Amino acid sequence: MRQLLRTGARLFWRRSVDEEVDDELAAHIEQLVRRLQHQGLSREAAREAALQRFGDLATVRSECRTLAHDLEEQMNRQEFVHQFQQDVSYGVRTLRRAPLFTTIAVLTLAIGIGASTAIFSVVHAVLLRSLPYSESDRVTVIWNSYIQGGSVSRTAIAPPEFADVMDQNRTFDQVAAVGRSTANLSGSCGPGATCEPERVPGYLVSPNLFSLLGASPALGRAFTSSDGARGAEPVVMLSHSLWMRRFGGDSSIIGRAINVSGRLRAVIGVMPAAVRFPDAPIGFLGERGELWFPYSWEASRGEERGNQYLGFLARRKPDASLDQVRVDLATISSRFKSSWPDRYNMTTVTWGLAARPLRDEMVGDIRRPLLVVLGAVLMLMLIACANVAHLSLARGAGRRQEFAVRAALGAGRMRLVRHLLTENLLLGALAGVIGIGIAMVSTRGLVQLDPGMIPQLDATRVDGGVLLFALLATTFCAALVGIVPALRQSSASVHDAIRAGRGGAAQPRRRIRSLLVVAEVAMALVILVGAGLLTRSFLALQRVDQGLNPGPTLTFMVTLPRARYDSSAKMVAFHERLQQRLGAIPGVEAVSAIDPLPLGGSAWSGTFHIEGRPTARGAEPPHGEYNVALPGFIGALGMHLAKGRDFDATDARGAPLVAIVDERMVQKYWPGEDPIGKRISSEGEEGPWATVVGVVRHVYRSGPRNEGEPQMYFAYRQRVQTPLSYVIRTTVDPLSIIRTVRTEVAGLDAELPLARVASMATLESAALARDRFNALMLALFAATALLLAAIGLYGVMAYLVSQRQAEMGIRMALGSGPSDVARLVIGDGMRMALAGIVVGMLASLALARVLDGLLYGIEPTDPITYVVIAAMLALVALFASAVPARRATKADPASALRS
Amino acid sequence: MPDANRTVLQGTVDLLILKTLSWGPRHGYAIARWIEETTDDALRIEEGSLYPALYRMQKRGWIKSGWGESDIGKRIRIYSLTPAGRAELRAQSAQWDAMVKAMARVLKPA
Repeated sequence: MRQLLRTGARLFWRRSVDEEVDDELAAHIEQLVRRLQHQGLSREAAREAALQRFGDLATVRSECRTLAHDLEEQMNRQEFVHQFQQDVSYGVRTLRRAPLFTTIAVLTLAIGIGASTAIFSVVHAVLLRSLPYSESDRVTVIWNSYIQGGSVSRTAIAPPEFADVMDQNRTFDQVAAVGRSTANLSGSCGPGATCEPERVPGYLVSPNLFSLLGASPALGRAFTSSDGARGAEPVVMLSHSLWMRRFGGDSSIIGRAINVSGRLRAVIGVMPAAVRFPDAPIGFLGERGELWFPYSWEASRGEERGNQYLGFLARRKPDASLDQVRVDLATISSRFKSSWPDRYNMTTVTWGLAARPLRDEMVGDIRRPLLVVLGAVLMLMLIACANVAHLSLARGAGRRQEFAVRAALGAGRMRLVRHLLTENLLLGALAGVIGIGIAMVSTRGLVQLDPGMIPQLDATRVDGGVLLFALLATTFCAALVGIVPALRQSSASVHDAIRAGRGGAAQPRRRIRSLLVVAEVAMALVILVGAGLLTRSFLALQRVDQGLNPGPTLTFMVTLPRARYDSSAKMVAFHERLQQRLGAIPGVEAVSAIDPLPLGGSAWSGTFHIEGRPTARGAEPPHGEYNVALPGFIGALGMHLAKGRDFDATDARGAPLVAIVDERMVQKYWPGEDPIGKRISSEGEEGPWATVVGVVRHVYRSGPRNEGEPQMYFAYRQRVQTPLSYVIRTTVDPLSIIRTVRTEVAGLDAELPLARVASMATLESAALARDRFNALMLALFAATALLLAAIGLYGVMAYLVSQRQAEMGIRMALGSGPSDVARLVIGDGMRMALAGIVVGMLASLALARVLDGLLYGIEPTDPITYVVIAAMLALVALFASAVPARRATKADPASALRS
Repeated sequence: MPDANRTVLQGTVDLLILKTLSWGPRHGYAIARWIEETTDDALRIEEGSLYPALYRMQKRGWIKSGWGESDIGKRIRIYSLTPAGRAELRAQSAQWDAMVKAMARVLKPA
C-alpha cells in the first residue's frame, strides 16, 4: 500500500515537473508569436517563424525535462542538507543556552566512551586478538603433572619422555621440544663495530618448532630438519628486537657468523617482531626469546628420566579433539607406569601426562581479571548512559512548551524527532572527540602499567572498531532516550501542553528518573566494592613479611663460561676477587651473591634426603627449594637469621659441607628439635651430608602470593656452578654505581657480560605488578563511577528542586522553615541513594564470587569493605542532594507563587 | 537555416546568459530578447537552446530560479544570478578577452 502511494506520488511529481518545462517553453513561443504578429505577420506565419527561430522543439523539450528532474533531485538533497544544517545550528544554540546540561552530558559520555574504549582495547589485544601463530589453536603444551592431595603441580618433560610420546602418540601431527639456553653475545655487532658483551635469553628448540606454531621468519630461511643434527653447521635464528638493537636491522646479517657463548654460529633468519616465543611465560619458560638454536631433542632419549627440563609443544591433528588427545596421553602414561613403576607409579602422588591449550598457558591467569574489568566497563557505560538519559528526560520535560509551539508552527513529528536526533548526535560527536583523547591517553597509561608479563599488552592500540562501538552505543542509547519525550510531546495536544505550562512535569517520568538514579547508585556500588576488595587485598599482599628486606640494592647476574673457567678453583677465585672489588666501591655496604636470586623469576627445586630418615619405597622423598650463596648473603639481602650463623670464609672446598635452612623446613622436618647440627644431602641417601649451621626466615621467592617450599642454602664454594647473581647493598642510589660495577667486572674479565642489571626495588614491585595492575585499573574505574553517579544524583536533585520551586515557595509561605525544606529535598535524594545502596549490596554479594581467585587475605564478602563503601556512597549522595537543597531554601515565596 | 557565422559557439551561450542576468532577474524570453537587441541581432542563436543552458547553469549553482509574472500576466520562471554566477561571469569574461586579444594578434596583417 505504502509502496503504491509512493509510486503514485512519483508519477504525479514527474508530471508536474514535466508540465512546468512545457509551460515555460510554450510561454516563450507564445510571446515570440505575439511579437511577430505585431510586426505584421499573420498568426499562421508568425507561428511558423517563431518555431523556426526557436529551433528543434522536441529535442529541447526532452533535454530540458531530463535536466529538470536532475535539478529537482539535487534540490531535494540540498533541502535535506539545509534542514540538517538548520538542525545543527539550532542544536548548537540550544546546547549553548544550557551550558551545564551540555557540559555534564558531554563529559559523562566522553568518560564513558574513553574509559570503555581503553579497556576494550586492552581486552581485545590480550584476549581476543589471536597469538602471532596461525596454528596456535591446535597447539597444546604437555606437562608431567603430579596430583597430591588436591593440588596439581606441572613440571617439565625429560628428553626420553618427549621421544616416547613422539613415537607412540596417535593424535599429533607435529611435536617439538624447547630447552632454555641463555647465551652470551660478544664481539662484532655490525661491520667494523664492536659492542659490549650481552647476555640474552635463548632457547634450544626442535627445528620444526616454528612450523608447528605456524610462524615463518621475516628475513632469511626457517630451520630445516637437518639443522641441529649432530655435526650440522651451527646456526641461530634472531628475534626482530635483538636484530634491531644489536645489529642495527642490517639485513646483510643473514649468513654471517656471530659469537654466541664463545662459539661462532651462522645467522640464518630473523623472526617477525610479533614473535618472541615464548611470548608469555609457559610454565618455567619465562623470558621472551631473543635467540633460537635448532636441536634434535629426540637424540637425547638416552638421558636419565629424572632429568626433566624441556617444554613440550604438540600440535593436534586437524581431526583430533582435545579430549582425544587426553585419552591418547592417558594410554601412553599407563605404558610409562608399567614400564617404570618406580618412577611413575607412586602411592602418595598421582602422576600423568597432561595437555593444556597453548592459549590457556599464555593468557591463563590474566583472563579472569580482564573479564572483571570488562564487567566494570559495561557498568560504567550503563551509568554514563543513565546519566545522559535522565538529563535528557529532565530537559525533555522542561522543553514541552518549546516542542508544542514548534509543532503548532508546522513542524511535523518526524521533523521534531530529526531535530532531537541531531541534537543528541551533536552531543555524541563532541563527546566522541573528547572520548578519543581520553582513550588514547589512558590506553598508553594502561600499557605502561604492564608488569611485563601480560602477553601482547604492548600490542594494544586504540582500536578503531572498538571506539566506534563505544561511540555508537552511548550515543544511540542517549539519543533513544532523548527522543522518547519528543515523541510523547509531539503526540500530545498543543493546547494541553501550552496550558499545562511549566507545572506539567508528569509523574511517570519522575518515577523513571528515580529508578535510573537507583540503578546508577547500585552499579557504582558494585564497582566500588570490587575496587575496594582488590585494593585491600593488594595492601594485604604488601604487608606479607617476605623474609627479606633488601633496601637500596643493586643486583646483576654473571654466568662464567666453561670455556675459560674450566675448573672450580678458577670460578671460586673469580668470585672471591669480585666480591672484594665490589665491596671496595664507595657507597657499598655489603656484597654477596646467590643463585637463584629471590624475586628474580627463576626457581630451583628438587628432592633431598635427611640423615637417618630413608625414604620408603614408593613414597616421595622430601622436596625443597635449592640455593647456593657466597658468605654474607643473609646481611646483603636483608634476610632474617633466626639461629646459628651465615656462611663464612671457613666454609671452603675440602672443609666439612654446610647448609642453612629456613624455618619452614624446621617446622616440617624437625618440629620441636634443634636443627643445628642435623645433616641433609642433595645427592642421595648415602650422602655426602651437609651439616645445618643456620636457620633463616622463609623467603617468598616469587612474590607474596606464592608460598613456596621449604628452603635450603648451600655454600657456593662447596658447590660451584656457572650462574650467580650479585646483591650489592648500598648507602647511595643503587643505580648510580652501575658504571663503576661494570668497570670492576671488566677489570677481572672484559669479555664477561652482566645480565639483568636491576635494583632490587624494581624486582620487588615487579612481583606485585599484576596485583597492582588489577587494583589500579579497578580503582580508576571506581573513581570514575563514583564521579558519574554523583553527577547523576546531583543532576536529578537539582532538576527536581527547580521543578518544585513553586511548591517550596508555597511551603515556605505556609510557614515551613528553610531547614524543613532542605530536609524534604535531602530526604528525597537519600531515599533514592539508599535504595540504590541496598540493591548494589545485594548485587555485589552475588557478583563478588568472581573475584575469588584474585583476592589475597580477604574474603569476597569482607564486611568492612562493604560498610565503608556504602557509607562513602551515602556521603556522596548526601553532598549531591545538599547543594540543590540549599538552593531550594533560597526560594522566594512571593516570586514562586507569582509564576 | 541560420548562417554558420551567425550561430554562437557552444559555451558562449552561458557567458551571454550570465552577462544578461548581471543586469537583473529575467525570464527566458526576456533573456533571448536582450541578447538579440544588444547584439543588434548579429549573434543570432536558436532561442530553444537557451533553456537547456539555463537548467544546466542552475545545476551548477550559477543562477537560480523563482516565480514571477510574465508581461501577459502568466506565472513564469524568473532567473537571477547567484554570487557564484557573478564570479563565473568575471572569470569567463577575462578568458574571453584574453582569447580575443590573442586571436587579434594572430589575424592582424603583418
